[in-house]
Amino acid sequence: MGIVTPETLTITETLSLKEPAPKRQYPGALVVVEGIDGSGKSTQLYLLKRWLEIGGYRIHFTEWNSSPLVKSATRRGKQRRLLTPTTFSLLHAADFADRCERQIMPLLHGGYLVLADRYIYTAFARDAARGCSPHWLRNLYSFAPTPDITFYFRAPLDVAVNRIVAGRPKLKYYEAGMDLGISLDRAESFRIFQERILTNYDQMIETDHFVLMDGTVRVNKLQKLMRQIVGERISLQQFAPKKK
Amino acid sequence: MKRADKSAVRTHGSNGRPGKTRKSAAIELPSRFYGSPLPGVKPEELSGTLVVIEGTDGSGRSTQISLLTEWLESEGFAVQTMGLRRSYLVGEDIDGLLAENSVTRMTLALMYSTDFFDQLERRILPALRSGLIVLADRYIFTLIARAAVRGIGRDYLHGIYETALRPDLTFWLNVRPEVAFDREFKKSQTISYWESGRDMSLSNDLFQSFIRYQSMIKREFEYLSKRHGFIEMDGESSVSDLNRLLRKRIAAHLGIRSTHYRPSHALSHLWH
Repeated sequence: MGIVTPETLTITETLSLKEPAPKRQYPGALVVVEGIDGSGKSTQLYLLKRWLEIGGYRIHFTEWNSSPLVKSATRRGKQRRLLTPTTFSLLHAADFADRCERQIMPLLHGGYLVLADRYIYTAFARDAARGCSPHWLRNLYSFAPTPDITFYFRAPLDVAVNRIVAGRPKLKYYEAGMDLGISLDRAESFRIFQERILTNYDQMIETDHFVLMDGTVRVNKLQKLMRQIVGERISLQQFAPKKK
Repeated sequence: MKRADKSAVRTHGSNGRPGKTRKSAAIELPSRFYGSPLPGVKPEELSGTLVVIEGTDGSGRSTQISLLTEWLESEGFAVQTMGLRRSYLVGEDIDGLLAENSVTRMTLALMYSTDFFDQLERRILPALRSGLIVLADRYIFTLIARAAVRGIGRDYLHGIYETALRPDLTFWLNVRPEVAFDREFKKSQTISYWESGRDMSLSNDLFQSFIRYQSMIKREFEYLSKRHGFIEMDGESSVSDLNRLLRKRIAAHLGIRSTHYRPSHALSHLWH
């Protein structure tokens, strides 16, 4: 132990001592990654998933905005730019509800370790940046199970924005927050939108017991830390392959 | 109108809400929201009137809305209507979900709320800003009742709809489930899957399932009626009698003196 100990680990340790694990009504566990675009969260969750897959653990990976049920509506709304902050938020909530009721909950009851790339905090940060009331959003998603660990990948705004802008020829309308009318320049709008989201995420670090991860740390180093924290907080043994 | 006003005072009174000054009875009160208004909406801009007609299938809602629309237009008022699954955004998607029977209760409830808010924001609020009269063929109350009988919390549901507009008048066309069954059966020779609550496994007998489900919905409406000050109407009375009473209430709210109305030839088949 103690090969890699960035300052972030001390923060997570103090938080974990204060907060006893909430009572669960299911044998499974839920691990979530959150953060703005370009913070490195998806890469890290992918590596965590690979680690667990190779080890033969009972896991399931789920992503934000992936249910076929509401895909056509989301596409239609985005193409024709019909979405308001409220309908944007509700459509994503419906989409999440579908995944929650048909995948996440049954898997948690069935004793799986569920890995989620983005979770309800994405909606809290992003939809509040669009103007929805935080109180309304909290109620909207109150049916969602609380994660066992929420990793919050934080990278400085410039680092994250440059990663995205460099890798993409054109930012999409809603992705760039163009519906907010902040700026006519997409890159500029994206930057301001992401900044608002980042501020909203930061405000949830304490209230929602985020495990803060420094997105500027080298990929393999950060992954090592992530695996260590998962090992400490979740008894992986219960998801291990059963010996015959 | 008095009843609706009283309830407004009971549920939201004395919390220091600004802009609550009353005008004389002939001028309509400004429309208000249950909680914080939708992002970007100024309540004082909404000069139109929102009239809601609630009731189960077979309670005569659509008939009354057709007649009221004609009457209001003949009096010189512009009318806009709304109803369930009529949004451009997700109306057809909900039809698809209902046809599949694979959708879960929370997803369905949230798809309906998306459908509702899409209509509210893109059609109803602009209409109310232009001073139109909006006749709503069902409103948030049906959505709340349906989800509540499926075990979704009432407070949760009221939370979702707290950014919705409070109607100026809400009529509840109350009919007994048995009467609704007769009317629906006569109309379509069968009973729909969702209107009989078959997703809830109440009974294998369609009639029993319908009656039980509609009785549960009715109990939710009784609760909602108290909470939101519905004007309860006897949905079992004749079309013309019911229409006369509705016109009287609406006329009083709008300050129309005459409530005389005979349906045109096009609608005379509804009049009995």
